[in-house]
Amino acid sequence: MNAVEIRGAVKRFGEKTAVAGLDMTVPAGAIYGFIGENGSGKSTTEKMICGLIKKDAGEIRLFGRDYTDEAVRERVGVLIEAPGCFPSLSVFDNMMLAADNLGLEDAEAKVIEMLKLVRMEGAAGNKYKNCSLGMKQRVGIAMALLGEPYLLVLDEPLNGLDADGMRIMREVFLDIVKDGTRTVIVSSHLLSELQKVATHYGIIRHGKMLDEMTADELDADCPTYIGIRCEERGRARALLGIKYSRTEEDEAGFLRVYDNVPTEDVVKYLFEAGIYATEIKRDRISLEEYYIDLMNGGR
Amino acid sequence: MENINFKKRTRSSSLKSMLSVDIRRALKSRLVYIILLIALVTPVLMTVMMSMMDGTVSTDPQTGVQTVIHGPENTWQQIGTLPTEGGADASGMDVMAMCNINMAFMGIAVFVCLFISDDFRSGFSKNLFTARARRGDYVISKTLMGISVGALMLILYFIGAILGGAIAGLSFETVGFSFANLVLCMLAKICLMAVFVPIFVLISVAAKRTAWLSIVGSLGGGMLLFMTVSLITPLTATLLHTLLCLAGGVLFSVGLGFASKSVLENTAVV
Repeated sequence: MNAVEIRGAVKRFGEKTAVAGLDMTVPAGAIYGFIGENGSGKSTTEKMICGLIKKDAGEIRLFGRDYTDEAVRERVGVLIEAPGCFPSLSVFDNMMLAADNLGLEDAEAKVIEMLKLVRMEGAAGNKYKNCSLGMKQRVGIAMALLGEPYLLVLDEPLNGLDADGMRIMREVFLDIVKDGTRTVIVSSHLLSELQKVATHYGIIRHGKMLDEMTADELDADCPTYIGIRCEERGRARALLGIKYSRTEEDEAGFLRVYDNVPTEDVVKYLFEAGIYATEIKRDRISLEEYYIDLMNGGR
Repeated sequence: MENINFKKRTRSSSLKSMLSVDIRRALKSRLVYIILLIALVTPVLMTVMMSMMDGTVSTDPQTGVQTVIHGPENTWQQIGTLPTEGGADASGMDVMAMCNINMAFMGIAVFVCLFISDDFRSGFSKNLFTARARRGDYVISKTLMGISVGALMLILYFIGAILGGAIAGLSFETVGFSFANLVLCMLAKICLMAVFVPIFVLISVAAKRTAWLSIVGSLGGGMLLFMTVSLITPLTATLLHTLLCLAGGVLFSVGLGFASKSVLENTAVV
């Protein structure tokens, strides 16, 4: 079953078309990394999925039902742009408001459970306005999780987080999906972080889906390479180009060999030509590189 | 994911949960307490201060014309204009008729506008409307909250007027009207809240996060209606006045409620 299926969705704001015939498929149980430049239509798409803005054309289905279906809507959690909290109320009171909205029984216990999940139980009494950015984002996620949603839509939840905040958020993501009942759509510009958790990806540009793939497909599309830093780079590159089928020099000054050969063979080959490697690594093309390449029309 | 089970909430439980949100918010928000405190304190201060100024002679420095300031003579002047003999001026539309309990209708405009715009300014509306497909619940709940707080303001103003009258030593005599008229007058005003609040709700859901626009719109738009409050709810109010106000309240609440719902359904809520 697909958690989200969008076919030909269109959204216009006056003269500007924010979403232009978007197709999107999010399998149930996935962590779907939704990637795109600023203004590409990510947030608009997410807002349409959440029913916060109306589509002008196309079809949006959540778990096989129309996205306006009341029963489905109640099982969608959202964190778009910022958590919707009242600054002068405490974290706990804000959570209780969200629990009231969902009509939860045993609301207090549920609120405490969710605050524990996002490692915020110790700050429940803090006024929301006094929380750090990372804490606010976690409160937002806790709120989104309150109604035991089948679908979570998180827009830039990693923005402005420090390294520790990122780590906690990563742990939270993995906790969220570990029982397999939730689907998460998460958009972020921090692709390296996204790559650590996402199982599926969708890349949007100018309101249209450019590419959708699973993490395995991305891995297959992002080959490993041997990176070698050495002196006489020009000669080394020419030599590598003669022996190996795909080589290139990256921005960091590494010569990359994409052929599936042992690292020592490449090093030995250069060594025999009188070129000494000063740094050697075996790595894989990152999501970021893949994305930039795609944006530049390289794929 | 095979065990996914969607259960639709009943209309009553959906409305109940929306009301719970608003009641909790109102109880946790300083806005309600401030506005109710103002409703209680204003008549006390006004009555006492105006009584202290009674008989003061003010002279225009340019023309030399002297004006004697008259303070209130009767406590119930804070509720409405006292009827003259024959009751001809009982519903006079003068400025004094506005500077009494009827100011609560302006106070409730500010409350409703801030209460609604805060939902949109804080972003809480995203949480509300993602999980809540029925926009009507939101409108009903806000309208009921507005009417309730408005009724409380009127009652507190009434209590404040009695306190002020007692402190200033004013007469409590009901001249030209009975105590029953007074009760019906208050009930009519409470029912009239149901005419005003839906107007403010409609303006607020249209203006969304721009609180100043909704407040200006509500005060400006409601100004013509404010002028009629003293006319519709005089101190000599009868059951007919109350019933008419109730009927007007129901009509406005239902009619404008649908309009507000339509605005929410057809515009972006973020």
